[in-house]
Amino acid sequence: MNPISLLALLAAVGVATFLFRYAMIGLFAGRELPPWLRALSSHIAPASFAALTASALFVHGGEVALMLDTPKPWAALIAALVAWHTRHVLTTIAAGMAALYLLKLLF
Amino acid sequence: MNPKLAEFLAGCRDEAPLQLGVAPFAMLYGIGALAAGMPAWLAQLASAVVFAGAAQLVIVQMLAAGAGAMPVGLTAGLLNLRHLLYSASVAEYVRHLPRRWRLLLAYLLTDEAYAVAILRYRAEGERAAQAGQAETGPAPGATKANAANEANERSAVREADAGSGTGEAPGDLRHWYFLGCGCTLWLTWQLATAAGLLFGATIPAEWDIDFAVPLTFIALLTLLLRERAGQAAALFAALGALAFAALPYKLGLVAAVLLGLLAGRLVAERTGGRVTGAAADANPANAAGQEERAR
Repeated sequence: MNPISLLALLAAVGVATFLFRYAMIGLFAGRELPPWLRALSSHIAPASFAALTASALFVHGGEVALMLDTPKPWAALIAALVAWHTRHVLTTIAAGMAALYLLKLLF
Repeated sequence: MNPKLAEFLAGCRDEAPLQLGVAPFAMLYGIGALAAGMPAWLAQLASAVVFAGAAQLVIVQMLAAGAGAMPVGLTAGLLNLRHLLYSASVAEYVRHLPRRWRLLLAYLLTDEAYAVAILRYRAEGERAAQAGQAETGPAPGATKANAANEANERSAVREADAGSGTGEAPGDLRHWYFLGCGCTLWLTWQLATAAGLLFGATIPAEWDIDFAVPLTFIALLTLLLRERAGQAAALFAALGALAFAALPYKLGLVAAVLLGLLAGRLVAERTGGRVTGAAADANPANAAGQEERAR
């Protein structure tokens, strides 16, 4: 793809992304959210991050691959336990990376 | 310190640890962009124009695989459909702001900035609800009074905008916090893109820096899991992400989130969760403590 059509493609994706981000904020500016949407909206964050986490760990190239014979899922599990106990972002990331490096020695 | 600046800096500070996951993401994108034959200037520009990690990564991966503009654009666009949900989720917190603020915050509404900002908004809403002055959750019958309130609030904001500076609703400076989160992430994203373009090739693959990305998601997810309904939403969204993985154009992610929302709603109804009020989602006993420890 030449740079001009690439630029057009990226601009289109950028505009679409911005419109998604602004749509509801713009629609409900100075107005109440309808009750059903408000009820759903409190679950949007946990549901989104659960889906993002699951697909980052277990979906590779559009296919599900649990890969339990590799260190990453186990390091992620350790990180999740640390996250649950400490509720601290920095500690979680450090523990997960450390677990990965250690487990790579074992696998 | 100026309270606005204090809020802004608090946002920066709470967003900062997540940059450990954001930076490798941007660097991977920079490396991928060069590998896909994208000119460096264009790759850097895309980080400002698109400003969405997963979409940018998928674009360069698909281009490298020789995909055409149509499927690439559709996939990246639909992958960002989840931002529509984020937008709905923050709408009630930013609706009193002037348009330029809403436009700016919408541009900065990325995954990690959204998560940190929403944690702050929720914690504050819970505190207010506890104090018996639920600013976010009017009773269904109070819509009219609320609309009047709303109008007052808005005119107050306008006055403040006009430069009087005195009519501003006190207390709610959380948009400055949101801005701090967004700006921190934006700066990291641009700098780490540049770093990936310049030095990416020198980072050994054995360092597995890409693993920091799911680790930040795990850390945020843990903070976001509070009550039963949210946990059910998360569980079903995660299962959905696997079940719908094969859907074209990355639609599986949005389908998974919708499944999670449905599950969360059903559990909330079972457990007698009220429909109105962000407080329906609260677990006040430990929410404040979580918020503190999140920092």
